[in-house]
Amino acid sequence: MINFNLNGIPVSSGISIGKAKLLTHALMEVEHYTLDKKEIKNEIKRLNKAITAVKNDLNKIKNNLLKNNQIEFETFINTHLLLLKDKNFSKKPIDIIQNSFCNAEWAIKISLDEVVSRFDQISDPYLRERKLDVIQVAERITKYLLGHPGGQIGSHVEPNSILVAHDISPADAIQFKQIKYAGFITEVGGTNSHTAILARSLNIPSIVGSKLAKNIINNDDLVILDGDEGVAIINPNQKILDQYKNKKMAWAIEQKKLQKIKKIVCTSSDGEIIKLMANIEDSGDIKSVKDSNADGIGLFRTEFLFMNREDLPNEEEQFQSYKSIVKSMRGREVIIRTLDSGADKMTAADKKETSNPALGLRAIRLCLSEPRLFMTQLRAILRASYFGKIKILIPMISSIQELKQVKLLIERAKLALTKEKIKYDENIEIGGMIEVPAVAINADFFAKELDFLSIGTNDLIQYTLAIDRTDDSVSHLYNSIHPSVLKLMALTINAAKKHNKEVSVCGEMAGDTKLTRLLLAMGLTNFSMHPTSILQVKQKILETNIKKIKPLSTKILRSTDSDSIETIINKINI
Amino acid sequence: MIKTKIKIINKLGLHARASSKLTELANKFKCDIRIKKDNEEIDPKNMMDILMLAASYQDEVQLITNGIDEVIASKEIENLFLDYFGEGQ
Repeated sequence: MINFNLNGIPVSSGISIGKAKLLTHALMEVEHYTLDKKEIKNEIKRLNKAITAVKNDLNKIKNNLLKNNQIEFETFINTHLLLLKDKNFSKKPIDIIQNSFCNAEWAIKISLDEVVSRFDQISDPYLRERKLDVIQVAERITKYLLGHPGGQIGSHVEPNSILVAHDISPADAIQFKQIKYAGFITEVGGTNSHTAILARSLNIPSIVGSKLAKNIINNDDLVILDGDEGVAIINPNQKILDQYKNKKMAWAIEQKKLQKIKKIVCTSSDGEIIKLMANIEDSGDIKSVKDSNADGIGLFRTEFLFMNREDLPNEEEQFQSYKSIVKSMRGREVIIRTLDSGADKMTAADKKETSNPALGLRAIRLCLSEPRLFMTQLRAILRASYFGKIKILIPMISSIQELKQVKLLIERAKLALTKEKIKYDENIEIGGMIEVPAVAINADFFAKELDFLSIGTNDLIQYTLAIDRTDDSVSHLYNSIHPSVLKLMALTINAAKKHNKEVSVCGEMAGDTKLTRLLLAMGLTNFSMHPTSILQVKQKILETNIKKIKPLSTKILRSTDSDSIETIINKINI
Repeated sequence: MIKTKIKIINKLGLHARASSKLTELANKFKCDIRIKKDNEEIDPKNMMDILMLAASYQDEVQLITNGIDEVIASKEIENLFLDYFGEGQ
């Protein structure tokens, strides 16, 4: 076997060594061929065998889920099992084979096409969505027929496998939390694509934007994935393998060292206390928050409650979810961001194709146009606020009127709860995400109206530089140290300071140790990031004398281009 | 043969979870079971049939059971609908 290297954008550090697992769409590979009459019987047998195999697989998954008490996923698998047992579902392809002498894969494809077109005529959007279940089951069967079962999300994966996929959608992401992959390699994406963010939150080495990865890597190839250098080495020789095994060990030792600073208060070397908070998606992240000893949760992205399901979570379900998180934080603050859906994170309710979703009806715009949905969430958050320290964070605010509308709705929700004699924190703080340039430019006005500010750098960069985060053809232009981005951030930090309001950065920049000193020099004292980055950032802060580097921030903000900014950043990082 | 009119009162209609419950329940009975909506008639023992019937909130369907355990089948299936498929709304 020849070994060769594949390059990509490094998005999550560490080294993994494991077997490749390709995520494929089997239905796209299906070919049509005609069979001899005497082969028909065997072809039907082959199909039935595949169906039984899928049934067994699903039963295995179901039992595993039951063992781990994951009832939510069980219903999902149950639907698939029932579909397999459905007479029409499994008989139809057999009829097709008998009548048109075609191969089993083709029969599945033809009957699926018909089912899908019938589903597409259903007017109820929730029910129409169910065609996805049918497609997934057909996909599983086809995979068995083609001789490469598995590889599908949710199926059994060997430990230490490295997932090779074209892309990982946010909807796939939740299911990956159940499966322990050792790394991701995707063909598209950039530093801030969903795959990247997911990989960092799971703390597994990954590279993205590795074009043709799926053509070059075969299933079960041995792969070394270097998430720091952005290289994947396929079928390495023994010498390289040994080298990387050593490198991997050194990395693990480094991680262990970080554990020692876990309990220390985060203070710069000149004595300034810096608050380190965690970004989370659901209660499953709480463990890593505790492991990092974060000062609180700086960003709880509630949209994940709304994803991968066909209905909307009701008030009680949301309340229970928020309550359990705030209680598990035992008095440390939890900042809950209201639904930030639309754009790339689709929920069942707003799945509509728009040409420019990042600029469309999303986040607070969506919530204000669907007041009932928003009210349900506000009530759930307020009710949970009785059980700990909660703050509300509003995403994608773009005008003062919008903010006033939001405040009015919160007042209304409070009033209703008071009337119903339900307890909540009457002084709950309301903060805003600073991610639209229009708001950062006039940060002063917003700092006056808000209780706290949180700079969402991912979107702020996307909107300031007019770069679609999901389009990898422009990802090289995405630049977090663009002078205009830094200027907007400085305006926001200074405005907050002027009005004595707390300000934090909660985007990817906060967790990037290369930028920690830059942010400290700009006067930031509150960082919120993936819990897995906290100790690394803390280490950097402990070694930093803020007074000494502060004068450099003026120099940075006066720079005309990011190259000279990078030079200064490199200098302060020494 | 027993015929019963049932209105769908759970907000999401016969979506995946509700359909699974209905299929599982229907398969417990020996009798022949049909659910009719407008001019369409399906066998609730088949999951895909139910999904494609696409019965939504406020739709009215007719339940027809015919066979040895038709009484209990009719009653239990009706109860499942009236119980919002165990979803509470």
